[in-house]
Amino acid sequence: MTNGLKLPHEIRAVMNNGLPAVVVTCSADGVPNATIISHVHYVDESHIALSFQFFNKTIRNVRENPHACVSLNDLMGNMQWILDAQYDHSEAEGPIFDEMDMRIEAIASASGMSGIFKLRAADIYRVKSFRSLNHAASNP
Amino acid sequence: MTGQEKDNELAERLARRSAEVEVLRRVALDVNATLDLDSIYEIVLRTMDECFGFRHAIILLLEDPGMLRVVAGRGYEHQALGGTVVVGVGVIGMVAKRRRLMRMNHLRSQQAYFERIRSQMQEAGRAAELGDVVAVPGLPDADSQIAIPLTIKDKLIGVLSVESREPEPFSEHDETLVSIVASQAASAIQNALLYRAVEDRRRELVEAHASLKQLNETLEERVRLRTRELEQANLDLRETQAQLVRSSTMASLGTLAAGIAHELNTPMGAIHSNADVERRAVRVIKSVLNEPSITGKLGPQPRLERTLRILDEVNQMTLEASERVTRIVQSLKSFARLDQPELEWVDLHEGIESVLILMDHLIKDRIHVIKNYGELPRVKCYASQINQVFANLLTNAVEAIHGAGRITIATKQEGSDLVIQVADTGSGIRPEHLERIFDPGFTTKGVGVGTGLGLSITYRIIENHQGSIQVESEPGRGTTFTLRLPITPTP
Repeated sequence: MTNGLKLPHEIRAVMNNGLPAVVVTCSADGVPNATIISHVHYVDESHIALSFQFFNKTIRNVRENPHACVSLNDLMGNMQWILDAQYDHSEAEGPIFDEMDMRIEAIASASGMSGIFKLRAADIYRVKSFRSLNHAASNP
Repeated sequence: MTGQEKDNELAERLARRSAEVEVLRRVALDVNATLDLDSIYEIVLRTMDECFGFRHAIILLLEDPGMLRVVAGRGYEHQALGGTVVVGVGVIGMVAKRRRLMRMNHLRSQQAYFERIRSQMQEAGRAAELGDVVAVPGLPDADSQIAIPLTIKDKLIGVLSVESREPEPFSEHDETLVSIVASQAASAIQNALLYRAVEDRRRELVEAHASLKQLNETLEERVRLRTRELEQANLDLRETQAQLVRSSTMASLGTLAAGIAHELNTPMGAIHSNADVERRAVRVIKSVLNEPSITGKLGPQPRLERTLRILDEVNQMTLEASERVTRIVQSLKSFARLDQPELEWVDLHEGIESVLILMDHLIKDRIHVIKNYGELPRVKCYASQINQVFANLLTNAVEAIHGAGRITIATKQEGSDLVIQVADTGSGIRPEHLERIFDPGFTTKGVGVGTGLGLSITYRIIENHQGSIQVESEPGRGTTFTLRLPITPTP
């Protein structure tokens, strides 16, 4: 599914399941990078927000090349969602940032990691397309 | 889904919503119908459980600006009561800090992710960067949670938290339901807290009023008691002061007496000796004049004989006067024997006589002193103190006699005690004064005449010697003091 995009409810549920997501980006000179992030936040039917907590290669790549691919998995490992997204902008304040920051801080503070999991910005991506892969059929 | 099935589903949903609205209406009425905090907690938690199926819920109140305390719980083994949450820590603490509702699903997965990172950091030697893991009240294995701030006009008073072991049991609609209940609960809790504060204040005022009333009722009595204490303290102070003055006076007197004795003894010895020599010389002159050879030559010498007789009489007077001065000095020394502060064996008659000699100028021919002395052994006592007792009693006796009168001093031994009586024929003591005469400060001699301490000190001295003192008196006829002293006081 691509144009006239409307993220289905199932993806929203997967975003909230607490499992880390895999984000793949690529530098301007074509070097790919895959990384795990703690939080994919549902913004609206065509946008998601990724937590920007560390200055890492993902951030540098999307500043050079805005295209990114996000992989989400359900808890049972049966369904995988692949989202093609484009970096749009970053928000260091506002309701989206506050919501993401509050959720991260709630867990981090009780885990003794407030200083480590410090949300620097909410990176907003427009979802260009998505597809699902059903692994249940291939699983024995 | 057929049209009928859709209709049925809509009808069921409508029925559920109607039931929920009724529950919410009921909760709003119930929590606002009471000002009892425990009843409000019970209504809220029971509604969560029985009406909405939220089995595990706790209510926390802000105890101070940085701390929440669990005040009620339902669905927990120990109801989590008394547990605390630091504002800003964990889901509940973060909700309190931001004053925003938070619905968290898949908590365990998220916690597991953070724990994994924590382990990796520890393995990488970065443990120093990590803080402590904080235990928060609630289910230890909760997988989802809704926490709602309880606020009044944006002021936080507590948090309502609902938990589940299921990963996604709470919907947005559940959020709405819990929010409405929380809003009603916040209002009711605030009212109850205010009411409790007012009640506490009212109770304090009632107690303060009662205390004040009681204080007023007892104030007069307390003032009276306090006044009596102060009067007693004043008397004690005066007595102590007087004793100090008397001790000091007696000590000075002792020193003075010793000095006088030393200074007077030698000249008095010379005077006495010279007078004696002169008397013997007169006797020799008389003897020579009476020899026949002299008488024959000189013939009668009436002028010379008269002169020798006068000289003899003057010498006799000089001798008697010098002996009297010697006795006075000796009595003074005996009276003020403060240079001998130890207990000693004393002849009481000697003490009485010393005092009488010193008081001779007061007694003179006006008062006849009768001495009925019995056989007394020596008694072990502080001589100067006992002499002071005799002086006090005899001074009072002399002062009680206006004009001519009589003082009778009687002594005797009764078993292991010595009894000394001093009786006068003076004005006597009125019955209403009799029982107060040993009180410090009591006097009938008038301002500036007596200190009112003489008999008080007498009483204490006799008491210190383990003796007793009694008084009998009849106005207009006289007074008798009876002292009783043990021969040997018990150490």
